Formats: sequence, structure tokens, C-alpha cells
Amino acid sequence: MAESPARTAFAEEALTHLDTLYRGALRLTRDPDQAQDLVQEAYLRALRYQHSYQPGTNMKAWLFAIMRNLFWDRFKGSRKEDVSLDDVGEFVLYDKLRDEGAKPEADVLDKLAASEVVAAVEKLPPLHREVVLLVDVEGFSYKDAAQTLGVPIGTVMSRLHRARQQLQRSLYDYAVESGIVRASGTSQVPQQ
Amino acid sequence: MNCSDCKDKLDRYVDRELNNTEVLELKLHLEGCPPCADHYEFQAHLKRLVKVSCDRDKVPAAFREKLRQILL
Ligand SMILES: [Zn+2]
Repeated sequence: MAESPARTAFAEEALTHLDTLYRGALRLTRDPDQAQDLVQEAYLRALRYQHSYQPGTNMKAWLFAIMRNLFWDRFKGSRKEDVSLDDVGEFVLYDKLRDEGAKPEADVLDKLAASEVVAAVEKLPPLHREVVLLVDVEGFSYKDAAQTLGVPIGTVMSRLHRARQQLQRSLYDYAVESGIVRASGTSQVPQQ
Repeated sequence: MNCSDCKDKLDRYVDRELNNTEVLELKLHLEGCPPCADHYEFQAHLKRLVKVSCDRDKVPAAFREKLRQILL
């Protein structure tokens, strides 16, 4: 089927952001098949609403917004998943580890497996997870993240703060469970 | 700037969201305060770790091809 050159050029440009969309969809759905469905649907919708994209603006943010809106439309009803984080109080992993006598960076961060970090991200409620994805994984500014999510910058900052607290708590729990640090105190570093 | 101000701004510094004046003030504090500098390194490292860990997932080649077929 012959597509118009303008549509093809638009699709080509949109596809340069496929990695970002797929990673985001994968983290949101936590399922490769669902992620592919979501991304495909997002691209089809993007092409259908091509006219609403203003050339020269942030296409990556625009596409991500389409994808995450679809995600929320589709999954909001079916999942009873918590959408907010309880305020569990300040948790600063660095301070916690310091207090317990560990060298936080060398003893702990260097020993965390990538799969555990991903698991900790995926454990976040989706509203908080998506902020981490945008700001930490995709490098969005707070302003771009706010625009993508349709919330004020202050909301991005507070969600990010909560998300990071929760993330650090999960990583700490993992570090304790796996013996990287001992809950009681000293880190278990083989002395050699 | 004291350590408490520094801590408050650490997230925004790591995320490159401070203005130039704030960045200078914070850098000055970090140079003279090893504990805050160490904390900063930790937060920056953690942010990189999140990115690198999530970046490992690549788009399956078959899916990329399928999308091209559909869209182009
Ligand atoms: Zn300090």
C-alpha cells in the first residue's frame, strides 16, 4: 500500500524513539507481549493523530504520552493495583548504610544485580514508576516529564521523591536478604 | 550553604534541575564537605544504576521489523 511521503517520514522519525517506548511499556506492563501490543497500538494512534503533533516539539515526549495514556486506559479498570505510595517516612539509603557501618557505594551499589534494580523499579506503583522511567531512565527534564504526564512540575518532584524513597527501601531490603549488608550493622565483605 | 540545604537540593542537582547559581553554590559546598560529596556520588551512582539496569532490555528484532511493516 502506498503511503504518503509525509506519513512515511513521520513514521520513520517516530520509530527512532522505539527503544524508549518499548522500555517504558515493558516496565509499565511488566510483560513483553503486553508491551509489544501497547507499543504497536501507541504507534498506530500516533499516526492517526499525526496532525496534533507540532513539528519541532519533543516527539519522544509526545509518543510516550500516547503510550502511557493507552496503558492507563487499558489497565486502570482491570487492575486493583495501588496507585499511590503510603508515606512511610523519610528513608535515605545512604544514611542507613552509613549508620550501619557500610561503605554505601563500594559495598552495596556495586553488588546489586541489575535484575534486582529492575525488580525494585517494577515494584513501584505505576504512577511513581513512570516518573522514574522518564527522569532516571530516559533523562527527561522535570518540565518534559510534567508535560508528558499532564501534571504540574511539583507533582513530578513529589512523586519522584516518594519513588526514590521506596526504591531505596526495596534495594536495602534486598541487600539485607541477600547478605550484602547485615541488618544489624556491618557489611559482609570478604576480607582479602 | 549548609549540609541540610545541600541535602535538600541533592536530587535536583543529580537531575540537573538547579540553576547556574545554585549549581555553583552546591559545588562549592561539595568541595569543602566530604560527607556531602560522598552522598552525592552515591545518589548519582544510584541514578546511573537504575538507568543502566533498565536499559538492558532491547527491542526484539522481530517486533521492530513487524512495526516497520505495519507503519511504513
Ligand atoms: Zn555538607
